[in-house]
Amino acid sequence: MLNKPLPTTKKNRTLHIIKGKRKKPNWSFWLDNVVLISWGCLLLKYAVTGEYKLLIHPNYFWLVVITGIFLLLISIVRSILFVRSSNYASDSSQHLTLFPAKFSRTLLLGVALAGLIISPNVLTSKIALQRGVTENLPLTHSQPESFVATIKPEERSLIDWVRTLNAYPEPDAYQGQPAKIIGFVLHLPELPENYFLLSRFIVTCCAVDAYPIGIPVQLEGNSSIYPSDIWLEITGTMATVNLPSKDHQNQRKLALVPTEIKQIPTPKDPYFKSDQ
Amino acid sequence: MSQLHNAFTLFLSLLVEAMPFLLMGVLVSSSLLLLVDERKLITKIPSNPFLGALVGSCVGFLFPVCECGNVPVARRLLLKGVSPGVAIAFLLAAPTINPVVIWSTWVAFGDQPRIVIFRVIFSLAIATIIGCIFSVQKNAKTLLQPNLARRFNVLVNGRSREFNKNQESQPLLLQSGTFLLGTSGQPQKMEALLTETLSPVVALANSSKFQSFLDNVVLELRELGGMLVIGSAIAAIIQVFIPREIVLNLSHDTISSIIAMMLLAAIVSICSTVDSFFALSFAATFNSGSLLAFLIFGPTIDIKAIGLMASVFKPKIIIYIFVIVAQLTFLSTFIYSYFS
Repeated sequence: MLNKPLPTTKKNRTLHIIKGKRKKPNWSFWLDNVVLISWGCLLLKYAVTGEYKLLIHPNYFWLVVITGIFLLLISIVRSILFVRSSNYASDSSQHLTLFPAKFSRTLLLGVALAGLIISPNVLTSKIALQRGVTENLPLTHSQPESFVATIKPEERSLIDWVRTLNAYPEPDAYQGQPAKIIGFVLHLPELPENYFLLSRFIVTCCAVDAYPIGIPVQLEGNSSIYPSDIWLEITGTMATVNLPSKDHQNQRKLALVPTEIKQIPTPKDPYFKSDQ
Repeated sequence: MSQLHNAFTLFLSLLVEAMPFLLMGVLVSSSLLLLVDERKLITKIPSNPFLGALVGSCVGFLFPVCECGNVPVARRLLLKGVSPGVAIAFLLAAPTINPVVIWSTWVAFGDQPRIVIFRVIFSLAIATIIGCIFSVQKNAKTLLQPNLARRFNVLVNGRSREFNKNQESQPLLLQSGTFLLGTSGQPQKMEALLTETLSPVVALANSSKFQSFLDNVVLELRELGGMLVIGSAIAAIIQVFIPREIVLNLSHDTISSIIAMMLLAAIVSICSTVDSFFALSFAATFNSGSLLAFLIFGPTIDIKAIGLMASVFKPKIIIYIFVIVAQLTFLSTFIYSYFS
């Protein structure tokens, strides 16, 4: 009587499944956790090291931190449920996934590991040339146009200068004003030999949409002694000069005539924020 | 080599920016799976194609997700049996017709309120029109990516079997994570160890429901994350190896500048919550019609999102959607430029 096989009820069948699951370790379950943990670590690594500044607008900082913590939490809660419960029916839908699960897992894990090993770089002058340097910097309507007048000329950053020029574009108005600007060297093909552009990127959302702005620097000798992409802090005065633009017509522009040029290490926070 | 490193940086930048929104979308989709009864949901949506599409377009107001977050939600709506027209209208409108995006557009273009107003009107109109077009197709299966269609089949069949109380169909139900939802007869786990520490919403659900929620989150993150990686990689490579200047130099008159800005929108793959600030940087060089084209086209179609859309629809359907959106965007912004 005791040996009589149990009727195939649903409960019975579930027990069979559990037995099967216990025999071999559930690799796919744990690999998914590894993917979640690696992505959580990657996002938190960017937040802790400050490298997120090279990738996204700092407004997104908390979004990245929360996402990183959330991914780690999901993997921890899943693991606890898995260990504590004997009948964890995990991921039984493998046969119906859109993408081979192995492929997705490998891809995501590979990217996360590559991200953990290779640090993002600061966008270079090559990207700046590809994107086209803009001299027009629009203001959002929430930014009052009078804001620049309150900043002393020598304290204006590159973005302040470009904004000031946008608000009132006559270069003669700034002739002789002192300036101290930080930026990287960008050699524009249309500029004469003794000029380079002191440039920086502005980020609105992420590095993908960063666009460069710049102010020409007038040297006495050939500008090629300053290689592209090195960072300089230039002190000098502003002057009005005639420079060829892209369509080879001369335009009156504001340029910086340096009295002191100092090479500096790449700043940790190299981009301007669009709302700065 | 430095170009490769640049491409890698841009690729990571796209992913790091999109991942939070993808997670948000996946969480919304997974809670829909648990909390919303599909039969009630379907009866609430008007059966009239136009009204249905309009409702679908406006649902974005409830789920403030951008173009990475709306794909999992739209996919869930389709799997819940919502008609394709409504789901596609949601897919196209949600990234624009939501409070966050409208607010950020207002901050950027507050001095040109016409851009803000027409962005909303044109996006809503385009999404509703395309929703109406696709509502002709009542059977979602023919639009869906084959594997998703199979999942859809299993779900629908499973649902009808569940209604019949057919006990023999239960093992089949167990084959899909989404299946666990309605199976109240399934053996319940006794552990309630986590209910105290969980959020109130989750605490309402029993632990097996919570498990299926987690499983679904992981499943969708893995699938859509994979597609996002591919889409972002393509977008980053295009960014580095095709100079943006080439696209911008295309613009000579109204028509060509609208086309140039639409191309730029597709290439840049920028998130809709901030694209208006990006568009603002072109305000001096482009007229408001082409800026509008960027703001309408960008959120619906970009390379990064096409990867995600490929996880829902057949390639043919994506091309249809792409072509119709492009045409309607072009037409509406061209007419706008003509009259402004």
